Amino acid sequence: MTTSDSFQSSRRSFLGGAGLVFGGALAGGIAAQGLTPGASTGSPAGSAADSTVPFFGDHQGGVSTAAQDRLMFAALDVTTTSTEDLTHLLGRWAAMASRFTQGEQVSAAPERADVPPKDTGETLDMPPEQLTITVGFGPGLFDDRFGLASRMPAALKPLDPLPGDQVLDPAISGGDLCIQACANDPQVVFHAVRNMVRAARGVAVLRWSQLGFGRASATGSGQSTPRNLFGFKDGTNNIKADDTAALSDYVWVGDDTDQPWMTGGTYLVTRKIRMEIESWDADFLADQERIFARLKSTGAPLTGSAEFDPVDFGATSGGEPVIDPNSHVALAAPQLNDGVRILRRGYNYTDGQHAGNGKLDAGLFFICFQQDPHTQFAVLQEKLGKSDLLNEYIAHVSSGVWAVPPGLSEPGDWYGKKLFSP
Amino acid sequence: MNRTTRSLLPLTVAASLLLSGCGSDSDSSSDKKSDGPSSGTIEITVSEADGCVAEPDTAPAGALTFHVTNVDAAGVTEVEVVSDQRIRGEKENLAPGFDATFSAKLDGGQYEIYCPGATTEKVPFTVTGEAPQTSDDLSVLLQQATVDYAEYIDTQVGALQESLPALVDAIADGDLEAAKIAYANSRVFYEKIEPVAESFGDLDPAIDLREGDVAAGEDLTGFHPIEKALWIDGSTDGLEELTTQLTADVDDLKGRTGELSKNTKADSADGDRYLPDEIANGAVALLDEVQQSKITGEEEAYSHLDIVDFQANVEGSLQAFATLKPALDQIDETLVPTISDKFDLLVAEVQKLKDPQSLGGYVAYDKVTDAQKKTLTDSLLAVIEPLSTISSKVANA
Repeated sequence: MTTSDSFQSSRRSFLGGAGLVFGGALAGGIAAQGLTPGASTGSPAGSAADSTVPFFGDHQGGVSTAAQDRLMFAALDVTTTSTEDLTHLLGRWAAMASRFTQGEQVSAAPERADVPPKDTGETLDMPPEQLTITVGFGPGLFDDRFGLASRMPAALKPLDPLPGDQVLDPAISGGDLCIQACANDPQVVFHAVRNMVRAARGVAVLRWSQLGFGRASATGSGQSTPRNLFGFKDGTNNIKADDTAALSDYVWVGDDTDQPWMTGGTYLVTRKIRMEIESWDADFLADQERIFARLKSTGAPLTGSAEFDPVDFGATSGGEPVIDPNSHVALAAPQLNDGVRILRRGYNYTDGQHAGNGKLDAGLFFICFQQDPHTQFAVLQEKLGKSDLLNEYIAHVSSGVWAVPPGLSEPGDWYGKKLFSP
Repeated sequence: MNRTTRSLLPLTVAASLLLSGCGSDSDSSSDKKSDGPSSGTIEITVSEADGCVAEPDTAPAGALTFHVTNVDAAGVTEVEVVSDQRIRGEKENLAPGFDATFSAKLDGGQYEIYCPGATTEKVPFTVTGEAPQTSDDLSVLLQQATVDYAEYIDTQVGALQESLPALVDAIADGDLEAAKIAYANSRVFYEKIEPVAESFGDLDPAIDLREGDVAAGEDLTGFHPIEKALWIDGSTDGLEELTTQLTADVDDLKGRTGELSKNTKADSADGDRYLPDEIANGAVALLDEVQQSKITGEEEAYSHLDIVDFQANVEGSLQAFATLKPALDQIDETLVPTISDKFDLLVAEVQKLKDPQSLGGYVAYDKVTDAQKKTLTDSLLAVIEPLSTISSKVANA
């Protein structure tokens, strides 16, 4: 059971989740057609009508794309010291991603009976299921191995330790490269990551990976707000694919960047947030609602009656604030954080059962995109990690930050081409 | 006839390969070209949509430059210019989004541009004018064979020489993994030309002797003590003297093969030169090498790179044989088809052991099953048998 007010938890904060999202006043705007790959604004993810997200464009898919239902995320360590090997891998990945996202195999060339197939084959006859592939570069890539030290963006600096970071596990954190594959079918995302990791053999090795089974954010304005594993609506005020102003203000790196190769890109932060499921399940409803400052049934703020009603932080009842100042909503609300926003795109996950204690091993694989993790994610997490009422029920066990370069322009373009050959 | 003419070079052997000795060879990221290809350049474009395309598909005889662009074919890592099983020029280590250039000196005739793994793998390529030796004078054909072989050896020895600084540097830096990779890369070139090195008497022992081959107290130099230090001791310490000696020995080899090549091309009666029957013997010797020391796992006892050596020996043998084909056709028209077919089968067997993740691009020898070894031995013997007859036919021609 939580105590009230400035409860100082030793546990991790439940990243911004609800806060960021619930706090804001508006749901995404209207209108504007998606101008970026994957900005499929009209049809909800999973619609059979359009199962293909365009690949080439100004931005990589999988950021502002309406969130699909499934995730496989992979972080890799580069093992080669050859720049040529590394860039060739990025070329191979680009060619593969351009095909996988269109429902194609690694290659259309005929297979030969006497050598292993080019494609592992588990998605033959399957549609692309709105697959997007998003590739990012970790801070480690900019060490002395590939001569990239001078091209390291300031925004990519590793995050300083945040409140509650003590239990982060380095073995499932960080990585030189990352692949985020999202689609509406788990086999499709697995196939993409598997084949890209296969193509990396001899150049990079898998460091850690994560499957996500249910989207925990809405990024398409037609999408309903999903629920997290605590049973609460999550992502009411997320930045939406068609909110080009918000994307431009908070997500896409503009011309004013310190590293021109990142123009049109964005920065990705991942946090694996384990939920203490059993403890939460034993908390009474009113306390759960106090922690989120939302009604579990409708998602309405405690000061309103419908999900999208604005939150009234000044409302009191019997002299006490209706919205607890340490509730999730209050700590992460943009209007209480100098307007800071991020684009959340996380997924619920379960890894089964804790081997040691037998409890369910599940939670939120938090993903967010922004222009600068240090002035966006870290600012919010600093507050949440310190004071969030949710901290009693969650723990951040993995963390990662990556630079996601801009989208690919045409066949033959590759991830980071401007980084390696400016 | 379904010829298998794929290169046997491992994927990890990067930039400077076959043609480094006779043409330019460069890599670069493929930037949008604002102007067309420079005159005389053949543009080879590999894409998922169109496969392997050469533009123009014909060119006048002479030194030709090929500019290869892999647009988006993830399955394609190499391009070759091939005629009658002979690799006349090639570029390895291609990747989608990248381009590279190589050159080849080609006589008039029919060639194939071969892009293994492309949606269309082969396209014909015609070189006009100055036809190759069309003489049916056997002595002219045999002379041409020695010149072709000289060029092949020069190229390989040049590549061997250029591969050594990576090994020297890795050892100087104390970088064990890089040293192992460099070792594997260098071995390939040596194994292709081993019979020629052996012909110099002192050089092959200096470069390639194994531990069991020297008497107690004698110094062991060359590749194998380096191999042992890298794999068994797990250390690069104290190897500088060995790499310095190896570099000097390879420089010596380059000088001596260069001299052979010069004499051969001059068709001079003075001085040592490549002789047709020796080329034939060398082709057999390479396969004997495989049979004696690779199939048993003795050659690379520490690194288990035997299959890497194996494929290099096979390629060296095949290329030696290929130079003799026009002459052999004159001597006995049944010889070449028989041997070529057997070579195709052998090459196909070796290809099955290709493994890009393994050092040198082939599976480690300790991972090869007994059944695979038997199949390899059978395929090997099937080539050796007819191949061993050609030396005397050439000598007595």
